[in-house]
Amino acid sequence: MSAFFKHLWVQFKMDIRERGTLMTYYLVPLVFYFVMGAVFSSINPLARQTLAATMVIFAVTMGAVLGIPVPIVKMRESGVLRAYRVYGIPGWAVLFIQSVSAFLHLLVVSIVILVTAPLFFGASYPQSFPAYFLSLFILLFASIMLGLLIGVAARSQAMATMLAQMIFLPTVMLSGIMFPASLLPKTLRALGRLLPATYIMQSFSGLAFRLPTDIDPVLSQLITVAIGVVAAGLAVVRFRAIGKSL
Amino acid sequence: MDEPVVFVQGLIKRYGSIAAVDDISFEVKKGEVFGLLGPNGAGKTTTLECLEGMRQSDGGTLNVDGCNPQSDGRQLRQILGVQLQSSSLPEGIRPREAMALFCAWHGLAPRYDLLSRFGLDSQNKKQYREMSAGQKRRLHLALALASDPTVVVLDEPTAGLDVQGRAQLHDAIRELKATGVTILLATHDMAEAESLCDRIAIIIRGRIAATGTPAQITSAGHSETRITLRTKRNCLLPGRDIGCARFLKQADDYGIWLCSDTAAAVMALLKEVQQSGDSVEDLRVERPSLEERFLELIERGVQQ
Repeated sequence: MSAFFKHLWVQFKMDIRERGTLMTYYLVPLVFYFVMGAVFSSINPLARQTLAATMVIFAVTMGAVLGIPVPIVKMRESGVLRAYRVYGIPGWAVLFIQSVSAFLHLLVVSIVILVTAPLFFGASYPQSFPAYFLSLFILLFASIMLGLLIGVAARSQAMATMLAQMIFLPTVMLSGIMFPASLLPKTLRALGRLLPATYIMQSFSGLAFRLPTDIDPVLSQLITVAIGVVAAGLAVVRFRAIGKSL
Repeated sequence: MDEPVVFVQGLIKRYGSIAAVDDISFEVKKGEVFGLLGPNGAGKTTTLECLEGMRQSDGGTLNVDGCNPQSDGRQLRQILGVQLQSSSLPEGIRPREAMALFCAWHGLAPRYDLLSRFGLDSQNKKQYREMSAGQKRRLHLALALASDPTVVVLDEPTAGLDVQGRAQLHDAIRELKATGVTILLATHDMAEAESLCDRIAIIIRGRIAATGTPAQITSAGHSETRITLRTKRNCLLPGRDIGCARFLKQADDYGIWLCSDTAAAVMALLKEVQQSGDSVEDLRVERPSLEERFLELIERGVQQ
């Protein structure tokens, strides 16, 4: 266990030293949050009701989907995974530590948003903090698993970036975090229902902020968990195949 | 020194229909430095990867200090240190962090002494991305030794290093040998093999073409000794065969002869100089090098 925590600590420090990781985990999401928070709260006061949730969904999706895959591809391409293997570091630890480290970074950002949104932009606090944090943990789980899946599935860094954008951009546009999904054409709304962010937005709205929702919020949580579990399973299968071909 | 620590018998590894390693057998004794030489694609790295447990073999028996690398992965990591031909560490990691990390996974206290031993003490604040190629190689070697392995595999450890980096790594390997560690060394560099290895095997097209000490392999070839001679008044030029010395070519004021009986050829040439009333300014006798023998074996392999 001490090896695991030592590795996690080293990984956390390396993440802090990595400019790209800092940008995708902290800088860009927080700058976006401060700008969009100001814009949304001034042009549409109703946006304040769920601002702490929408900005967290944006930050977590960006950090997990854009931030996790490229380092994993780099590790494979540069021979880090081979080195880890011959030095006796188990393969599961590599994925697990990447996940836990990303979880911690994104949790920090999420808490910063939750605490500052009411102070800076008059955003509403959640009606239920346990429900808020449950939804947040489910969001973190599903997003990180998707990030891992992209990282192990992509054959190159360029492909990883492309796959990540294929999830991130629709998340921003179609999941209902920027504007209500009910305003979208039917086709795009259906497309939005392939994304975990769409369901977790319903979960935040219905359970944490006690607002009306289009989809049952508990069902939404379950669907988000299911997406995360499927992504995790596929990532493990693909990672095992990579391990054999190193 | 007589006890075999690494045992390879009839190793076969295929990629599709191509046999990258085709029935290779050799033994490495305790404390020995055993070199694997061969051109690119000969099967050196594949052989080593089977021994490292990184590749599943398609046939044959492998044993590393009592452990089957194909099935005893966990045990293997305790007794085998590996420096891969191409590997890396995370760009942001520091040498001490890397050492602490790898030792932690082996359940050991960090071996910072190895960083000192390989001259990496001053690099402690540097991240991996800021280190030179030589420093990275030495760091990988230090990490390979962290678990006090009895056998170390070095796959082209000095490839791409400058002269100073190579010399430092050679010293590190010699130090390692002095501690009784058994070393398997894959290299392209003949001088490296000659200076470091107790025995070598030359692999060509997945098969062992020759094995023995560097001297044995060199002397087993058909290459002849080369005599290079310059006299004050160039009495032997333009060149011709003299006694058993067969004239090869002229290079500037030097004549170059080949011979099988070195003593007789040198005496015949010197006698000719003396009889001509000339005197010798420069005389060099060069035995065939390991490199020439290596090229001879490759040429034969290509012809076959």
